[in-house]
Amino acid sequence: MTATTTTQVMVFVGSGGVGKTTLAAAAGLLAARAGKKVLVLTIDPSRRLASTLGIEGSTEATKVPGFEGPGELWASIVDHRRTFDEFVMKAAKHAPGAEKILKNGLYRQLTTTLAGSQDFSALEKLYSCYKDGGYDVLILDTPPAQHAREFLEAPAKIAALFQEGIARWFRDPQSGGAGFLQKIVSTGTRQVLKVLETLTGSDFIRELGDFFRTIEGWQGRLQERTTAVHRLLVSDETRFYLVTGFDRAKWLEAESFARDIRQAGYHLGRVIVNRAWPQWLAEKTEAPLDPELEPLHQRFVEYDRKRAEALDRFTADWRGEQKVLRLPELSERVYDLQGLAKVAEALSRGGW
Amino acid sequence: MTEEIHFVTGKGGVGKSVVAASLALKEARRGRKTLLVELGERSFYKDFFSLGREVGYAPVQIAENLDLALWSGRDSLREYAHHLLKVEALVKLLFENSVSRSLIDIAPALPELAILGKATSGPRRHGPPAPHQVLIIDAFATGHFLALLQAPRGMAEAVRFGPMGEQSRAIEAVLTDPKVTRVHVVSLPEEMPVKESEELTEALTTRFGLRPDIILNKTIDLAGVSDRALNTPHPFAVHMKDVKDRQNEMRDRLLKTGCPLREAPLILSDDPWALTGKIAEVL
Ligand SMILES: Nc1ncnc2c1ncn2[C@@H]1O[C@H](COP(=O)(O)OP(=O)(O)O)[C@@H](O)[C@H]1O
Ligand SMILES: [Mg+2]
Repeated sequence: MTATTTTQVMVFVGSGGVGKTTLAAAAGLLAARAGKKVLVLTIDPSRRLASTLGIEGSTEATKVPGFEGPGELWASIVDHRRTFDEFVMKAAKHAPGAEKILKNGLYRQLTTTLAGSQDFSALEKLYSCYKDGGYDVLILDTPPAQHAREFLEAPAKIAALFQEGIARWFRDPQSGGAGFLQKIVSTGTRQVLKVLETLTGSDFIRELGDFFRTIEGWQGRLQERTTAVHRLLVSDETRFYLVTGFDRAKWLEAESFARDIRQAGYHLGRVIVNRAWPQWLAEKTEAPLDPELEPLHQRFVEYDRKRAEALDRFTADWRGEQKVLRLPELSERVYDLQGLAKVAEALSRGGW
Repeated sequence: MTEEIHFVTGKGGVGKSVVAASLALKEARRGRKTLLVELGERSFYKDFFSLGREVGYAPVQIAENLDLALWSGRDSLREYAHHLLKVEALVKLLFENSVSRSLIDIAPALPELAILGKATSGPRRHGPPAPHQVLIIDAFATGHFLALLQAPRGMAEAVRFGPMGEQSRAIEAVLTDPKVTRVHVVSLPEEMPVKESEELTEALTTRFGLRPDIILNKTIDLAGVSDRALNTPHPFAVHMKDVKDRQNEMRDRLLKTGCPLREAPLILSDDPWALTGKIAEVL
């Protein structure tokens, strides 16, 4: 199957704990209601959200139970390890001894500890779904990051690993024998490796050499793939949605991140300030408030007012021209499809 | 000299950075020379405290007895290299050659090790002098934090001989010494963060033999409010009733982990010093 040119891609980015997964799912719901066939790729849904989406304990794309059209809503969890291994194996096809890499100690460490390897496999999964086709809309929730920006930097970081140049360093002209360092021709290279060896020991250098020599020969294909992923991300069909929390430091981060997104040539769809005001504070009511709760209520109202003012001021001189969408903190917890529908409604009301 | 190393971790967004800054402020107020450390490439506190200047590898003072630094893997490694190689020209060769730079960036666990090496250099008496008595490290979120702790062990297994293997074992020894190293798991009175804290404290205990404590953040003190007031249909009362029930439930669950539990109240203020100052008082 070939990819249709009309597949829309939405990537939800933002720092950890801001509600990306929930918003990605809610956006999926909206698109499916508009008649689209949608796949939501989630990273770490809560157990309840996972069971709502029907994907608990599974990595296969699953139709969300209870969703009644007119479109189709599908969801799946990205299995980081498996995606990464599959990606490498695909690139290595026919290369003799390719499976060796999966057992290399450094490779195993790399795919678990290297910051960015999760982002990389999320993108890889997105791209392979895109290639396989079959959906009108693909929505990607991204791994939790300290800084939203890390996500954009991840592919380049991983791609550097597959850079042609590195393996050459470790190329071993006469296989086997002791002290492979001596066999490296370039003296500049030898010097650098020597220094690295002083720091880390020859064991480490040997492991590194093993690693790079194993992937040598199929690096080109690995690189092609990372280039293709990048092309998809900057294409007109892809939009980034930046989700941010409700405090000044996070807005500042979001503002500069929004600028980065545009400068890097990506298309920024929306900036979403999640939990911008608590619904349980804003709701109109006839019911009287017990005097015991009055002082606490006052403090919350006052605090909320100040923050809303701060956000107004901030978005007024927001240097990006992007529309900022505010979402309330809902009174009810978002556990089921109905909860998700409430978030989706809030998105629509906010001008999604 | 470093006497204590504190790591603050937890799920993303629970308030790790705020709690870490509060713990640091508390130590500084007690008159101990304290270094608040952030990990990674970018400073959160620069914006949070509106510092108006760059935060980098070299500590900058932000309050009495309180310094702030940002440790990236590359900077830590560079310092380590300098300490070992002594010759700046060699360090330059290593860090300014484009291929070796990317090699360093991607070499698995190397940046993590360098960061931990930097943190533990005082107790190990290895590396440049570490003048602060207390280090408070605003560490990575749960998964990445476990990977950070795993780095010396993984390295010691992958590389048995040479300086890397040796260093790794020494670092591990400091990290698992309860007199020096403390881990604080920040949580919120909500399902997801609590579940993650349960799993994280379990992993820290069984995999690393550490005994973390838990700081339950953003709790609301409702002890003075009667059930009668909470059981009214006003939306604010309904919400506070829900908060109270949830806080009780989550507190019980966290106590079952067997880890010491402390609470940090929800502070209704956007002023960073008021926020951290008040939390420092109760911690
Ligand atoms: N006890 C508290 N009271 C009020 N606000 C808090 C408290 N703890 C954290 N916050 C706020 O919660 C948000 C997330 O905190 P932060 O420390 O940045 O989380 P993390 O470092 O875990 O990502 C910030 O807006 C912070 O100001
Ligand atoms: Mg933080």
